[in-house]
Amino acid sequence: MALEKTVDKKTIGITTVNERVLASLAAEGLFASEIEAAKFAMAHAIDKDVTRGTTEGAGTKWNVGSVDSDGALKAVVEALFPDESQPYRLIEHLMNEGLRLFANSGALPPDVAGVLFATKAT
Amino acid sequence: MLRIKSLHLKDFGAFKGEQAFDLPDGEGVTVFYGENMRGKTTLLNAFRFALFGKIIGRGRRPVSFHDMINWEARSEGARSFEVQLNLTYAGADYRLIRTCRPKGSASTPIGHNDYVADYYLERGGHILSPQQAAVEIEQILPEQIARFFLFDGELLQEYEDLLHGDTDMGPKISQAIERILGLPTLTKSRESLKAALDKAEERVAVAAQGDQKTREFGNQLQSLVEEREVLTGDLFRHEKDLEILRGRKVAIEDDMRRRERMASLLDKRDRLAGEVTTLEGVVQQKKDDITKAMSPAWSAILRPQLTAAVAAHRTREADLQSAVTRAQVLHSLAEGHDASCPTCLQSVSSDAQAKIRALLPDVGVGSPDADQRELGSVRRRLDALENQLALANPDALRVLWSDLEARRREVYSKTAEIEEIGKQLTGDAEDELKGLRREYDSVVRQIAALEDGVKATTEKLATNANYRDTIQKRLDKLAGGQMESERRRRDLASRLHDLFKDSVDVYRDQLRHRVEADASRYFKQLTTEQDYEGLRINDSYGLTIMHRDGSDIPIRSAGAEHVVALSLVAALQNNAQLRGPIVIDSPFGRLDGGHRSKIVEVLPDMADQIILLVYEEELPPARAREALKGRLRAEWALERQSARHTELVKR
Repeated sequence: MALEKTVDKKTIGITTVNERVLASLAAEGLFASEIEAAKFAMAHAIDKDVTRGTTEGAGTKWNVGSVDSDGALKAVVEALFPDESQPYRLIEHLMNEGLRLFANSGALPPDVAGVLFATKAT
Repeated sequence: MLRIKSLHLKDFGAFKGEQAFDLPDGEGVTVFYGENMRGKTTLLNAFRFALFGKIIGRGRRPVSFHDMINWEARSEGARSFEVQLNLTYAGADYRLIRTCRPKGSASTPIGHNDYVADYYLERGGHILSPQQAAVEIEQILPEQIARFFLFDGELLQEYEDLLHGDTDMGPKISQAIERILGLPTLTKSRESLKAALDKAEERVAVAAQGDQKTREFGNQLQSLVEEREVLTGDLFRHEKDLEILRGRKVAIEDDMRRRERMASLLDKRDRLAGEVTTLEGVVQQKKDDITKAMSPAWSAILRPQLTAAVAAHRTREADLQSAVTRAQVLHSLAEGHDASCPTCLQSVSSDAQAKIRALLPDVGVGSPDADQRELGSVRRRLDALENQLALANPDALRVLWSDLEARRREVYSKTAEIEEIGKQLTGDAEDELKGLRREYDSVVRQIAALEDGVKATTEKLATNANYRDTIQKRLDKLAGGQMESERRRRDLASRLHDLFKDSVDVYRDQLRHRVEADASRYFKQLTTEQDYEGLRINDSYGLTIMHRDGSDIPIRSAGAEHVVALSLVAALQNNAQLRGPIVIDSPFGRLDGGHRSKIVEVLPDMADQIILLVYEEELPPARAREALKGRLRAEWALERQSARHTELVKR
């Protein structure tokens, strides 16, 4: 078990419970794909200072090449979390946590514009 | 000569119950005084309803029968109204009674179409058959010229129709004017002579066929005569059909005017539906634009964190760069590649080099290689961070989303408006209106086709006449025998027809000039503008004001229109074979005091019997008595009993 956890994930999955939220988020946010919607959920989780961890039972939805073809996502997560040794595992966790936050905020569909424009300007 | 004797009303408009007034014998003016909304125009409409079964409101819109039942009487259970008109015409006494009541099928009448108006006409105490009654009412007062006897100062558009010959009503009105002026007597004679001439021509053809010398021409002539009969029959039918269609067009226009509100609701709904469709296209386009722009939206949320990370990484990059550079210099010094220190330029001894070598870590953290690797890693992350920051543009996204939201609100608002309109449109009303519009379009197309047909047939008749004329001339050269007497008969008929034709044209011109002269005379008496020379008449009895310099006054105000219309009414009365009363509502319109005084002075000269509907400020009774003197025959008041009940009271 400890040996498995030192190797980063090659696939990213969404829990069964979060699938419905993801579909609703993708439609409401006019995202081109569920991958983009999942990245948005991940960013929402980071913005809300979600604790790092691992999501169990996420299954397999995409391989990391589909989600992060140019490695930019991994580079950004590594920059924000420099001591993280498994960035894709963390990405998977943050995506699911972000979707859980959307589900817990009230009825679906999620308020994409509200989240987007509540961001503090820099 | 038409004279009104009395008018009886029952629950008509503001006049609750049974009320009546009679007009005195002899010439003169009877004045009815009533404030606004007391029923002056209703009295005018009473005449219209009695004679034609119509009631006209503001803007020439027909008024629903349902709305004409006196409100108080209706609340007490009344469901009908009635007008009775007693008059004399051409020496006979007539009584015309028209009643409006609910249709048998309408248990709870709520609109115009739930009612029917019936009438009967008595002459000398005997009830006439419906067909005879219709013919006699048409003779007493043709509807097309009623406006010259029932004058409503607020419906001046009707007089302007005469100015423009291309309106549907213009030619009909001018034909009706000619009827009151007595032209039909001559035109009928002309038509009779035309028929006699045609018959004579036919007899010439038959006679020519009987002679071998002229048989060929006779056959040709007979053939042309037959063709002429066919073409004449076609023309007659076309013109009859045109008259019917034009009447139908006017009736549909009246009906559509009554349903104006419904029509405007339908138009508004259709327009809104079109706008919604367009907006939905725009919304979809906005959504597509947003979809393209949402790809980097996740980094827009993390803008502050990315910015902070960029700052931290830059600091780390700078530190690492310094460390790498220092290590490289020390390494170079330790290995003896440089004899002197690049900073202080002192030479470095062997002992110093050994000390430096001892201080430098070989591998691991702090070693030059480790720092170099970390620097590379930091720079890669910095690139990624800066790229994402560049892509993150929340302001641009905000504009797109706001725009989409605004469009969505527009769609919602217009859709809600469409639903509201839908509630006001009853299914039947919408279908009926659509049916009316389709019928109107069809009638317009048929009229256009018939007019083309009339034109083509007229041209064919002209060609036919030319051929006949040519053959007649050839036959004339071969005169002899039986043909001679037929030819003389034909020549006589031809000369008589030409004489009457010319007479009609001459008489028509004379009549027009007499009407023009009289209208000008009245106009100059009524107007206060000294630079106006008079009036000029066109072929359809439309009148144009002339300036003293000979030019036309092309545009005129409502006030000027008022005066011109009154002048025409007076001129027609002067020249008509049909003379009758004039009932005038709003005699002064928007005219100033000067014009008003002049109108009051001239009124008694306009017709033998004048009924004036005014309010006291418009024409103070004292002024009327002074101006009219012995020609003021009676005064009545429309007295308020309640908001919905007026009583006729003789003063």
